[in-house]
Amino acid sequence: MLNIIRYFSIILFMLATTACQESPAAHSTNTKLILTGSSTIAPLVSEIGKRFEVQHPGTRIDVQTGGSSRGIADIRQGIAHIGMASRSLKYSERDLHSTVIAHDGIGFIVHQSNPLSSLDDQAIVNIYTGSVSNWKEIGGIDAPITVVNKAEGRATLELFLKHFNLHSTQIKAHVVIGDNEQGIKVVSGNPHAIGYVSIGTAAYSASHDIPIKLLGLGAIPASLDEVLSGRFPLSRPLTLVTKSVPTGTLKMFIDFARSSDSYDLVSQYYFVPLQG
Amino acid sequence: MNKPRLLNDSLLPTLAIWTVAGLVGCAFLWLIGDVIWQGTRYLSWEFLISPPANAGRQGGISTILVSTGLILLVCMSVSLPIGLGAAVFLAEWTSVSQPFSQFIRRSLDVLASVPSIVFGLFGNAFFCQLLGLGFSILSGGLTLACMVLPILIRTTEEGFRALPQDYRLSASALGLTKKSTLFHLLLPAAIPSLLVGFILGLGRAIAETAALIFTSGYVDRMPESLLDSGRALSIHIYDLSMNVPGGDQAAYATALALIACLVMLNSLSSWISGLWARTRILTT
Repeated sequence: MLNIIRYFSIILFMLATTACQESPAAHSTNTKLILTGSSTIAPLVSEIGKRFEVQHPGTRIDVQTGGSSRGIADIRQGIAHIGMASRSLKYSERDLHSTVIAHDGIGFIVHQSNPLSSLDDQAIVNIYTGSVSNWKEIGGIDAPITVVNKAEGRATLELFLKHFNLHSTQIKAHVVIGDNEQGIKVVSGNPHAIGYVSIGTAAYSASHDIPIKLLGLGAIPASLDEVLSGRFPLSRPLTLVTKSVPTGTLKMFIDFARSSDSYDLVSQYYFVPLQG
Repeated sequence: MNKPRLLNDSLLPTLAIWTVAGLVGCAFLWLIGDVIWQGTRYLSWEFLISPPANAGRQGGISTILVSTGLILLVCMSVSLPIGLGAAVFLAEWTSVSQPFSQFIRRSLDVLASVPSIVFGLFGNAFFCQLLGLGFSILSGGLTLACMVLPILIRTTEEGFRALPQDYRLSASALGLTKKSTLFHLLLPAAIPSLLVGFILGLGRAIAETAALIFTSGYVDRMPESLLDSGRALSIHIYDLSMNVPGGDQAAYATALALIACLVMLNSLSSWISGLWARTRILTT
């Protein structure tokens, strides 16, 4: 028994010393950028970061997640160098500096079996405020509507509320979701549900045998082409936010994320690159 | 007259109990079956030893496995000594009715019922920001240690309390000090319960998402030190299935790897505790 305790203390001691020894060495030679924020952008920026690290040895790009508002809060507190926000800055955040790296549209999705192919703004407002609660009232089948809404603090929800001029207390939701994929899973499993998610993600899922359908908004179909052309009304910028105008490695990384070197990665995550 | 009585007395309760037991078994088999069915198609040796690429949709989970291992190592090397010490104190040095030990016990019960996201936020505020450890494996491991301590302490304490009072009485009759009674008699005898606590804690720690996403973080690179951020298996699964379009296949394979890890840990520790039970007679 005493042996076990002895071994154990040795392991503990070794663990503590390696932690102490390695920390200054690992960080004096490296420049480390910490990014936090939007879960929509995080996987994309992780990959951009990996490509940047290959081209600039000695830099480390650490990407954390948690939502756009968290990204903004973290750069204000100085925990992160760059915040990721999937929306433009609010009036109260105008002291910060934001750079657009890609665009994303938000589209309404329903189950594939739903006969409707588009909805106008008024119908969507009626559905989400609860004044229309059955699909037959807007030309669908006789079935109750399951309203899927985004959780508080999500940039997608903020854009949705702003576009339809609604307040979050007016919304009568049955299901509240977090990330895009979760929304797609809820709608694909419920033939009478309606939700809204990133158009790129939805288009990818729809083309990979997941039973969902993107609804046009009024006369405009929900597609990446329409987002690219700027005609689709519900679109948002994906941005990198810094405390002040970026310089040094920060500027190099943000420029890299905006450059044509990253377009193929942006497309792989079903967002719209700045050009092309 | 006879028939309904039979139905009431034995057949109906039997049927109900069998159905309930069957349902529990079905739920388990469905869950495991689904993960194995979907996961084995993608899981391979290559998947286990290559780093993730393209946000995890390609490549494997080698870096994730290393990070998870390091987080668990930190968690267990911190929580085991503290947990064992606290359990010995509670079981051998104080009585149940003493106010101080009652206070400790009450706090442990409250801690055990705190949701893991609260531990995550606490870990982020305390270890990452106040102690300046940042998003790191060390922060994640320490947060998990706080989370598994209550389970570890309460199980080990129960183990000590379950030991026959004769052990302690015979030891003092033989003139053994409290220290040698503890080390040579009580501790070896209580090892199985410590192991049970260890496994329960490990099981909770390895499956944790909420406590880790804001402490050990989201970075899927190979960690260079304990102060680097590293993604745990469960966060990888969550991100692949909820955030990355087209990540479902890799998510299932990772889930299968996680379950395999759990099963291996469980059988390893029950094997060790069996071994211990046999050799214990020689040491005491």
